[in-house]
Amino acid sequence: MDLSSVFFIGNIMNLERIPNEEKLSLCRRYYLGGFAFLPFLWLVNVLWFFREAFLKPTYTEQLQIKSYVKKSALGLIVWVAVLTTWITIFQHFRAQWGEVGDYLSFTIPLGTA
Amino acid sequence: MRKMTDLISINCVKLLISALFYTCVLCSSVEQKIYVVLNETVPCVRLLNATHQIGCQSSISGDTGVLHVLETESDLDWILSSGPHPPYMVIMETAFFNRSVMMRMKNSSRVAGVAVIISKTGLADNFSPHTTCPNQNTGVYSESYGSDLANCNGTVWNPLGNGLSYEDFSFPVFALKDENQTQVLRKCYEDHNQRVNGSAPQYPLCAMQLFSHMHAVTDTVTCMRRTDLQNRFSINPEVLCDPLSDFNVWTSTRPLNNSAKGHAADESVVIAATRLDGRSFFWEQAPAAEGTVSGIVTLLATIQALYPVTQEAPPPRNIFFSFFQGEAFDYIGSSKMVYDMEKNDFVIDMNNVHSMLEIGQVGLLSGRSLWMHSDPVSRQNKSVDTEVSEMMSRIQSAAAGLKLTVDHPSVSQPLPPSSFQRFLRARRIPGLVLADHNTSFTNRYYESMYDDAENLNVTYPPGLTPDEQLVYETDAAKSLAEVATLVARSLYLQAGGEENNLNNITADPKIVAQLLYGFLVQKNNSWFRSLLPPEVTKKGVNSILSPGPPQFYIGLGPRVHGPAHSVTRFVQYILANLTGTVTNLTESQCQNPSELSTENKDLFSYFWVSGPASVNGTREPFCVRASVRLSKAVSPAFELLEYGSRNYSTWTESRWKSIRARIFLVASRELEMLTLGVGVAVLLLSLLVTYFISSKAELLFSSARETPTTTY
Repeated sequence: MDLSSVFFIGNIMNLERIPNEEKLSLCRRYYLGGFAFLPFLWLVNVLWFFREAFLKPTYTEQLQIKSYVKKSALGLIVWVAVLTTWITIFQHFRAQWGEVGDYLSFTIPLGTA
Repeated sequence: MRKMTDLISINCVKLLISALFYTCVLCSSVEQKIYVVLNETVPCVRLLNATHQIGCQSSISGDTGVLHVLETESDLDWILSSGPHPPYMVIMETAFFNRSVMMRMKNSSRVAGVAVIISKTGLADNFSPHTTCPNQNTGVYSESYGSDLANCNGTVWNPLGNGLSYEDFSFPVFALKDENQTQVLRKCYEDHNQRVNGSAPQYPLCAMQLFSHMHAVTDTVTCMRRTDLQNRFSINPEVLCDPLSDFNVWTSTRPLNNSAKGHAADESVVIAATRLDGRSFFWEQAPAAEGTVSGIVTLLATIQALYPVTQEAPPPRNIFFSFFQGEAFDYIGSSKMVYDMEKNDFVIDMNNVHSMLEIGQVGLLSGRSLWMHSDPVSRQNKSVDTEVSEMMSRIQSAAAGLKLTVDHPSVSQPLPPSSFQRFLRARRIPGLVLADHNTSFTNRYYESMYDDAENLNVTYPPGLTPDEQLVYETDAAKSLAEVATLVARSLYLQAGGEENNLNNITADPKIVAQLLYGFLVQKNNSWFRSLLPPEVTKKGVNSILSPGPPQFYIGLGPRVHGPAHSVTRFVQYILANLTGTVTNLTESQCQNPSELSTENKDLFSYFWVSGPASVNGTREPFCVRASVRLSKAVSPAFELLEYGSRNYSTWTESRWKSIRARIFLVASRELEMLTLGVGVAVLLLSLLVTYFISSKAELLFSSARETPTTTY
């Protein structure tokens, strides 16, 4: 029992003992799930299957897993870019937008514009 | 074996309990050892109107600064440029609380907050934090009405005003009224922060932290919009600001039917009005002696003088007395009454109003002369002009037998800021404003904390007990009694009464003296206690009869602060005493008089009052019937939901969580960083050691026992 296997995200599922077809279907499900406005599924996909896709010796399903991981990474980057841009604009300009800013806000800070 | 473990566990429990007992009973927490909390805090709060925010704001976790006492110009340089330990918390001597110094503080980033010492030593000859032209946008003079007189182009009413109350400060400003507390601060400063031979003081230094975080921002429109959003969509709605509101007090010589709203048939009414409120730079501080109390006392004495005669020999017209609340904030009370009159939601309407006489600031009569201000624009109309001239001649004939002279200023001069201006906005009725100033105010401390009894020359010789002071007739009392007699006789003539009854109308200087004592020196006096209901006189710390003079700031009214403002209640009950009749109703009948056929709830109000204290301290309460009523004084802008209104007052007061102040010693930044760094280093070191030990665990701990190693 060494410290490296402590590194996990979400459910503890050791990918060592799962057959390759199941790994592929899992990766596919996470990839498809991310399209429902769930970029965190793509993040999980990338982090979980990175070793499987790129660092393990080749096996049949690895090509498809690799493509899913790459596409998840791409989607993740797009989401991060869009969210960062929107959050920056909102935080900077909310006070100036007056009424519109207030209607877009969920909680408005007290005592500052 | 078993007995030993029991004994040990019992001893452990005993030890634990005694340890807890010791710490809890002693309760010397670390926090109490560090911070000295200042008990009496007088903050400056944020007020908002349709377009601006004024007042002061602190950060949400308080503003901390190193204390420095501002006594000389070199101190000012030290704070603003040369001192090595910014930001500073300035303890400002009275002489430095003026516009130039405060503006320099506002523009500097080295000032964390200001605590102003409020005292008479070092006070300048004049100090008025109000604007030079009070209520300039909500009066009657505008582009369309007397445009050359608008914005004080004709006369500047408050030339000594420095406008500090209407500035927006981003640091907290507190007032130090208590001499003992100021001494604590000075001692801390002298012990730790004093400069020795011109060199900077060394850490640790005495610092002060002021908390006055205000929730509302920008203006009333924004704040009310956010409050509405909170109320609709949030799980935990938070109100950010409240409109300034309270009640006006009104009464009349002939009772008016309160349930019949709109035009009152066959009623021609002369309105006699004055204001009930004042303000200053700080929250809930407004002694308002010359600005407000002079008017209130004069009108109350007028009512006392006039009432008996109007019952015996009633004049043709009704006389309607009104005390307007909130006039300092763009005429809240008078605009609301005019609005109700126009909407037919009041006992009378504008068609019932014959004329109006307002009592402005009348306390500082120099040379015993009063001035009658009139509106030149409405007097361009012939009929209004004749009415106003007749009114002036009636007042002058009433003054003939008295030691006062009454004069009128030049005809082209506009009206001073007064509630009459709101009535003129609705209709050009004839009216006058009585004041002790010809052009600009004679009050050198208008709407400031220094407009107190001394400003009105109400001082008592030393050695008098409170009850003796209550009835002592100062010169100010006699002077105001004269003015009240004049006003009463003029009103009687204006209402069409007979001239031969005039000699029976005299104001009693003793009542004036009692009113001045109650409103300027001590509100918890025997006379006020006898006028108020029994539950008020018995309540604890937060009752309206706390020691000291009453403060005339309007406040937030019944929704936030419980029953009506103390001054409103005093005036209401004093009027009930002066104009009411004693009935022999019981307490429950007094609460529900509609059940009795002889009593009429539409025409009268019924008050259960304490009565005077007898020799052995008991009181016998009784029921008074009077035609005194309260009417709501909240700006029409809040009823119409026009929060950005330019026509009505839109003043709101921000809400806050806590306002407090405390002092403590601070260490230098370097020491703080060093402590933090050492702590982080110890943390990292401990993590490393733990990792090292756990990875070599078999080596370190295997030799101790012979137990077989279990494979994992």
